[in-house]
Amino acid sequence: MSETQDRIQEEAKKALEIGEVTLVIGWGAGSVPFKTTPVFIDKPEDVEKLVWNPACANNLAVYLPKLARDRKVGVVAKPCDIRSIITLIREKQIKRENVFVIGLGCAGVIDATDLEGANVRLRDVTSLEWTDDGLKVTTESGAVTVPPAGCLRDQCLVCDKRTPAISDVTLGEAVGRLEGLSIDIPGLSEDRKAYWAEQFSRCIRCYACRQVCPGCYCESCFCDRVEPKWTAKKATADEAWMFHATRAMHLAGRCIGCGECERVCPVGIPVVELARELNAIAKERYGFDPGDADEEKPLLGSYTEGDLDPAHHSE
Amino acid sequence: MAEQTTTLEAATEESASEPREWQPSILAILCNWCSYAGADLAGSTRLHYPETVRIVRVPCSGRADPMFVLKGFQKGFDGVMVLGCHPGDCHYAKGNYYARRRIALTQDLLKLLGIPPERFHFEWVSASEGNRFAALIKEFTEQVKALGPFEGVAR
Repeated sequence: MSETQDRIQEEAKKALEIGEVTLVIGWGAGSVPFKTTPVFIDKPEDVEKLVWNPACANNLAVYLPKLARDRKVGVVAKPCDIRSIITLIREKQIKRENVFVIGLGCAGVIDATDLEGANVRLRDVTSLEWTDDGLKVTTESGAVTVPPAGCLRDQCLVCDKRTPAISDVTLGEAVGRLEGLSIDIPGLSEDRKAYWAEQFSRCIRCYACRQVCPGCYCESCFCDRVEPKWTAKKATADEAWMFHATRAMHLAGRCIGCGECERVCPVGIPVVELARELNAIAKERYGFDPGDADEEKPLLGSYTEGDLDPAHHSE
Repeated sequence: MAEQTTTLEAATEESASEPREWQPSILAILCNWCSYAGADLAGSTRLHYPETVRIVRVPCSGRADPMFVLKGFQKGFDGVMVLGCHPGDCHYAKGNYYARRRIALTQDLLKLLGIPPERFHFEWVSASEGNRFAALIKEFTEQVKALGPFEGVAR
């Protein structure tokens, strides 16, 4: 891991020194080892702030539409972040020539709350490292190895895209898909309507899910509009339903399933689920994968004459 | 004047003794060139169809934003319909092809959210299909009526 981190710093330094880019977006150390935070490096001497460890969660593609609008920006990106970059290029929010992608092979990102289940006191953690058996968590009182299923975020459990689809430099090692694991959302299969009503009743409308989402790049979001008022500001389940349902629809053909929305949700709503399921349907029906660099047009900005006809579908 | 009052009283009494059967309210989003003209034809040929439907005219079924459908349900409509020109007949050549994908996914999203699929209907109706329009409204009204009032999106 630390070797990859050194290489990231090297590449970032080189790119800044030769003037390839004027800014590198990466992860920096947070207050504790299992939390990292985005850092924006514009001086070669600052590259030491860049870190890489199993807790580098943020999808940094979210900053590109604003920061790479009229200049070339370097970005350190996991395979899923790169899939976001691909959607942004396809939808003409950024130009390929304006991003310098430092792509990483990925073994998955950890969910710190899972570690609590493994009797690890998070504040005691001094280092995190992938080994052949799983995540080696070192604390002041010793080291434990947690198997991937016990520490990875849901979407990483089932991820089969562990190498960068596009990149200018590729670093680090990828780990193959974990077999036999699936995402299990308790209660969802019973009564979907009641399930979502309960979930949305907790939504406080902070819009953190929207803010971290590279797919939510609109400068003016429907939910901020007063006229027409698509959704009122009040935090009721009804209004939250309108927000989340619309957001899921807006992410059709756009959500690459990085799960950032879910990670940042302060009330623990499985926000990514609707968009994830919708895109799974789109993939099966139209063969469309948002993160595939070979898809030329957006899902809803294209059609074929043989598309499934909903007029006869429901009957 | 007195006679009129009597009639009104009689009418009031009648409706009080026989409560009117519950009727669903249905939001219908219609393309201007085909389906709205079809609805117009149904009207001008004096065809009877249930008064359950509230029509919103859009320039093209391609303008039928999924948000219109979601908002309709959120606002408490018991059923929502989207009608457009038959594939190949779009006034703007391909608007209904875009609508087709979008509406198919809207239908999927409603299912994912647990909204009964019978409360949503998508159909192609041309300007000459006044009879078909009336029949569709009748059929969909019956379908929604059988489900009863919609209890709301997040309940």
